[in-house]
Amino acid sequence: MTKPIDTSIYTAVTDAIRTEAQRILSEGQVSAIVGYAAARRKGSAQPIVISQPDDAAKLIFTPACVNNLAVYLTKAKKEIPKSGKIGIVVKGCDLKALSGLMGESQLKREDIYLIGVPCAGVLASTVQPATELTTDSIAPKCTECDAHLPTGCDFVPAQTPVAADLEKKYAAEITRLEALTPAERWAYWKEQFSKCIKCYACRQVCPFCFCEQCLCDRNKPQMVDTTPRPAGNTAWHIVRAMHLAGRCAGCAECERVCPMDIPLNLLNRKMAKELKELYDHEAGFEVLDKGPLNMFTEKDDQSFIK
Amino acid sequence: MSRIGVFICHCGENISRTVDVERVAQEVGKLPGVAFSTDYKYMCSDPGQNLLKKAIQDQKLSHIVVAACSPRMHEKTFRKAVEAAGLNPFLCEMANIREHCSWVHENKEEATVKAVEIVGMMVERVKKNRVLPTITVPVTKRALVIGGGIAGIQAALDIADCGHEVILVEREPSIGGHMAQLSETFPTLDCSQCIMTPKMVDVANHPRIKLYTYSEIELVEGYIGNFQVTIKRKARSVNEDTCTGCGVCMEKCPVRKIPNKFDCNLGMRPAIYVPFPQAVPNTPVIDRENCIKFKTGKCGLCQKVCGPGAVDYEQEDSLVVEAVGAIVVATGFDLYTIDEKPKGSAIKGYGEFGHGKIPDVIDGMTFERLASASGPTGGKILRPSDGREPKQIVFIQCIGSRAREKGISYCSKVCCMYTAKHTMLYHHKVHDGQAYVFFMDARTPGKSYDEFWRRSIEEEEAVYIRGMVSRLYQKGDKIVVMGSDIAVGVQVEIEADMVVLATAVQPQKGADLLAQKLGISYDKYNFYSEAHAKLRPVECATAGIYLAGACQGPKDIPETVGQASAAAAKVMTLFSKDKLEREPIVARVKESGCVGCFACKKVCAYGAVEEKEIRDRQGNLIKTVAFVNPGVCAGCGTCQATCPSKCVELDGYTDEQVIAMIEAL
Repeated sequence: MTKPIDTSIYTAVTDAIRTEAQRILSEGQVSAIVGYAAARRKGSAQPIVISQPDDAAKLIFTPACVNNLAVYLTKAKKEIPKSGKIGIVVKGCDLKALSGLMGESQLKREDIYLIGVPCAGVLASTVQPATELTTDSIAPKCTECDAHLPTGCDFVPAQTPVAADLEKKYAAEITRLEALTPAERWAYWKEQFSKCIKCYACRQVCPFCFCEQCLCDRNKPQMVDTTPRPAGNTAWHIVRAMHLAGRCAGCAECERVCPMDIPLNLLNRKMAKELKELYDHEAGFEVLDKGPLNMFTEKDDQSFIK
Repeated sequence: MSRIGVFICHCGENISRTVDVERVAQEVGKLPGVAFSTDYKYMCSDPGQNLLKKAIQDQKLSHIVVAACSPRMHEKTFRKAVEAAGLNPFLCEMANIREHCSWVHENKEEATVKAVEIVGMMVERVKKNRVLPTITVPVTKRALVIGGGIAGIQAALDIADCGHEVILVEREPSIGGHMAQLSETFPTLDCSQCIMTPKMVDVANHPRIKLYTYSEIELVEGYIGNFQVTIKRKARSVNEDTCTGCGVCMEKCPVRKIPNKFDCNLGMRPAIYVPFPQAVPNTPVIDRENCIKFKTGKCGLCQKVCGPGAVDYEQEDSLVVEAVGAIVVATGFDLYTIDEKPKGSAIKGYGEFGHGKIPDVIDGMTFERLASASGPTGGKILRPSDGREPKQIVFIQCIGSRAREKGISYCSKVCCMYTAKHTMLYHHKVHDGQAYVFFMDARTPGKSYDEFWRRSIEEEEAVYIRGMVSRLYQKGDKIVVMGSDIAVGVQVEIEADMVVLATAVQPQKGADLLAQKLGISYDKYNFYSEAHAKLRPVECATAGIYLAGACQGPKDIPETVGQASAAAAKVMTLFSKDKLEREPIVARVKESGCVGCFACKKVCAYGAVEEKEIRDRQGNLIKTVAFVNPGVCAGCGTCQATCPSKCVELDGYTDEQVIAMIEAL
């Protein structure tokens, strides 16, 4: 049964973000702020970079603020020129990505001003931006959210998000796939990957795809076939899932931007589940010096050594 | 264009029995790029190597593949031969058609096809091989020895006698270690002090040994041939340069009742003290925790009586940095704490033996102090409780050792021999006394060792009972020891006056922390790991660091001294050249693609990865990338596998080479 989700705090959150943005920009604490602003279509939102205190009024937070803005701070994407400390508006899921980037030496905490957002959820990419946020229209990633209230930020509006108890969509789908035989599972993924057109939108939007030179763009030696054919498609998505294992923070941007609707976050969630079971690792707000796959402890599972 | 030469070895019959080597040579000869292909009975023999050298010159070969045994066996042999013929040795690869083919197959037809494929892969691989220049790194010809026990002393003396400077660092106020505490030593019963103290004096007087006692390693940076070591010199409160060692301060010190650790807490010492009269250096140290001056600000008597004015209450801990080329780790052992479970450890205690509760239950080292002529009792065996001479004494072996259920599975190796020695010392000093020994087995391999053990039974009247003790308890002034004699199958009960426990040998406390500073590996008990159990027993996997003595595993004195001299020989081998040559199989970072995530740095077990700043001509920072120091890199390839951008290549094992091999299949 469809139930509405309480987003009443978003107005107060928007006001608080504007006041804080205005303050830190006019005090010169930051040179720019990455946030969300209203877009052309009714109810829609888009990323914005502001550098003038007067522009703080443009900032908003609504259920349409789906993007993970962390991607704008990575070197490979080079979206924001490096000019002093930068402010960024982050939901809990986005903050996990930023923590991961800090752990991987891509960002320094002292170079960022974190404006945390208490968030009850955002809209799925399949619905219109002006839709009311309900148990049906909510983004699948939000059904599994454990990070409604970011911590360790420089500023968080004093609002408490009301977290609805929702059916975990990825967990349910993973359980379904795990019950299949390997042949059936292979058939499922073969069909999914056959849709891929190698547009690399998933790579471009991913905060962890910060390599300056993606190995898939190399031709000496050529690791992955670049044409959108089954073998190369499968190789690409498996390589990406492997590279994200133990790093992916679950923002699901890859899945949101995929024009062919490949359930990419499902792969990443399955890897996260494996990491949890094998190494008790979960992406969180804490900055880790070493990721779970970059270290060895005596407790690590060694059952694969026969 | 490559002119590849392929040489197929018969390995006597080892390969040719299952592989048609002539056919392999023919088939491989047809591959593009192969200019010459032949087979020979023993490629590694002198005529075989000459065949290879001659072919390189006659056929003007550019790359070589030798199809024979495992590269672990003969890669060096063939690369040397190739180098002698004027080619870069790293343009030679081996195809393993013995272990990977002939030895594991029976069908000659199929094995031959497989051999052709294995050689074909290596042909494709060798085409991508680059000329690799040998890496040379400069060597600082000074050594650091950590630990001033017999191992460290021996290593330091050997290196210094060879003409090199040595920095010897000891944590305690005096060198000497555990050997200085012992009374007599097996299997000859010569007095430990008599053989030890002259060596200590040699260290103190050696012109090339710089001694830092009461000091600890703070930080180790650098790599083989080029270490920078920061040493913390703890405040001694006595100036080493001016103190004459007259000892007046110790006589006058009003604090007198501090248990002396050197005497296993049986004797007492003042707050300003040397651990034992033969200490080197003979400079006292103030124990600030117990000194009245440090506790209340009053007293100051030692400073008043000190003629040369060496007592300095203001002294502070200081740091010194020393540049060395090699490090010998000789931190030795400690005895297992038997009465309690060490905090945060998987090892359980032996509370049932009453150590720490029953005063006359002591450990082996305490017995050594009782038996020592310079010990707290002047060499008389007396009970700590009432000072009486024990007439019945029970020794129990394997306390902690070989007890998997208690957490230690190894044998401590020295206890069988020292317990036999204890029974003798006891018999020599208490003529009407009786010694009993509970033991599991007697382990006495070693020159004159078994004879020594037999002597304790046959001549010195020790009664050996095979079996363990289940329980002991105080009854009046006796200790009742209950055990079983499994040889006869009866229960035994002895009313003893004293019980000596042969407790397990463990690494020094903090051994793991030192290992982390040094970047060397250690096992679950914190014993340091050697690079190879049989063939590289004194080297660490980390280049330039060597092991001596019980820090690596339980050892007796002869073994320790032998290993210390071996470690010294390894250091001297390193110091015999001005530049160090290393195999150029090392990782290299492609800086253009490196994003500076430093995953490589985090996984490197050798500390070979550094951060390097890339700047433009104006000096502006463009980015910080990873840099692999070729002097430190061991070529393990972990960084290559870890790099998410695939921007680390291991020379000799590049992705291009490996993919070429796969594509050849």
